[in-house]
Amino acid sequence: MSVVIHTENLTKFYGKNRGVIDLNLEVLQGEIFGFLGPNGAGKTTTIRTLLDFIRPTHGSATIFGLDTRRDSLRIRKRTSYMLAELALYENMTGAEFLRYFIHLRGDVDWRFVQELAERLKSDLSQPIRSLSRGNRQKIGLIQALMHRPELLILDEPTSGLDPLMQREFYNMITEARDEGRIVLLSSHLLPEVERVCDRVGIIREGRLITVEHVVNLKERALRRLEIRFAAPVTDEVFAGLPGVSEVHIENNVFHCTVMGSLDPFIKAVARLPVMDLISHQPSLEEVFMAYYGGGDDYVE
Amino acid sequence: MLSNVFLKTLRDWRLSLPLWGIGMALLALWVMGLYPTIGESYADMMEDLPPALAIFVGEAADMASAEGYLSAEMFSFMVPLLFLVLTVGFGGSTIAREEEQGTLDLLLSNPIPRWRVVLEKFAALVVITMLLALTLWLGLVIGATIASVEISFLRMAESTFSGALLGLAFGALALALVCATGKRTWGIGIPAVLGIASFLLDGFAPLVEALEPYRKLSPFYYYSGAEPLANGLNPVHVAVLLGLTLLLLAVALIAFERRDLAV
Repeated sequence: MSVVIHTENLTKFYGKNRGVIDLNLEVLQGEIFGFLGPNGAGKTTTIRTLLDFIRPTHGSATIFGLDTRRDSLRIRKRTSYMLAELALYENMTGAEFLRYFIHLRGDVDWRFVQELAERLKSDLSQPIRSLSRGNRQKIGLIQALMHRPELLILDEPTSGLDPLMQREFYNMITEARDEGRIVLLSSHLLPEVERVCDRVGIIREGRLITVEHVVNLKERALRRLEIRFAAPVTDEVFAGLPGVSEVHIENNVFHCTVMGSLDPFIKAVARLPVMDLISHQPSLEEVFMAYYGGGDDYVE
Repeated sequence: MLSNVFLKTLRDWRLSLPLWGIGMALLALWVMGLYPTIGESYADMMEDLPPALAIFVGEAADMASAEGYLSAEMFSFMVPLLFLVLTVGFGGSTIAREEEQGTLDLLLSNPIPRWRVVLEKFAALVVITMLLALTLWLGLVIGATIASVEISFLRMAESTFSGALLGLAFGALALALVCATGKRTWGIGIPAVLGIASFLLDGFAPLVEALEPYRKLSPFYYYSGAEPLANGLNPVHVAVLLGLTLLLLAVALIAFERRDLAV
């Protein structure tokens, strides 16, 4: 499969402050690539370097085989961008804003814009200053999708959208992928990335820790469980079960962390009188700790 | 109105531009229209004025003439002040505001080069400044006609044009500073300070021997030193102001192309 985005030892410092360090990233043709990391890990720095808003301290990057510095215009012609901290022109309506951007790009069918607006239930006649955050995000998404770009670079695009709209958005980018578009989706939400991405790169403190297929990530999925039993239990029941750790019993309530398949664990628990079972989605930090250990120098 | 950055910038001015225009035209009309009423007592007052002050209100040889009056009341201070407020305010905020508010990232994710955004915004400033110069001149012409003041319309146009050129030079300076630093405080603060300093330098230089050799460093000298209201535009002075503007614009284009954009 051909490589669409390629970074080579991409490094960015802001004065003495770390942006990203020696980032080697490859995004392939036809995939939704999740770029996962906590806030401040360097996701936005990477993306803004790819779009030539900021310049690498050293290292380089190519998109479609074109240098992100020298050929930025040719790259931007084929790429769209959308970010969480979206700022739009307050004195325009949604329609005016989109028409402005269409003029700057050319070659957009207004009917397609209307189609997108309908799907996202976005009212383009409203002045942007009167729109809620979620409704602004929709305008941002429409501008990212309207010119049918080959590559979509989306920086935490779903923040501010309600769950229903998030689902619609996930459908839209999955469709975009199925049409052959490539998506780079940055996120700090593991479930989001697991849900829509094909591969995931995990970035922490400016360094790319690993790149995984989502399937593998799910196999190693981490869950914190809390089970309330009708009668006191001992931890012997759970001894020797694969992937179970951090066991801790308090009266009739049992806490533990399970990595990977839940099946053996559930079957073992099933023999006991279960009153309640709660599964917590672990935070990204917990995932990092479990997969990669350490975290002493972790900074929020 | 939305087909490019230039037109979009003009569109953003669709409310302020008429207000500025009305303000400038009314001011010109007012000052010109008052001349027959206060012209005579004004001439007496000017004769009593200490030379240090007189120099600031104009150097026209004949204070009692309409040219002397207009030079003192309009062109020595008011016209450059208005043009500088306009151009420095514009140049110091047009890119900076987009960068601070975050719209610049999205704008530049479109396939347009950075230099073109700066150039189109500056082109919009040129148009706005020239339109306002025109309304100011129209105010003067109408005022002179109503009050039957004998004064050359052409010379008034030349003087106004010279003020617009001075404004554009300072506007280009503000733009260059913002393009280089991304900071609105720099883009407005430094040109404001330099504007005042060069106004004072040009005003005091004829009085203070030590300053005289430096007078030609002040852009104000090239605005009014040759007295365009009396003598018409001095081609060399016009060329200096235009050259300065183009130089600063080039600095703006290059500096903006090279630096990291703020989030």
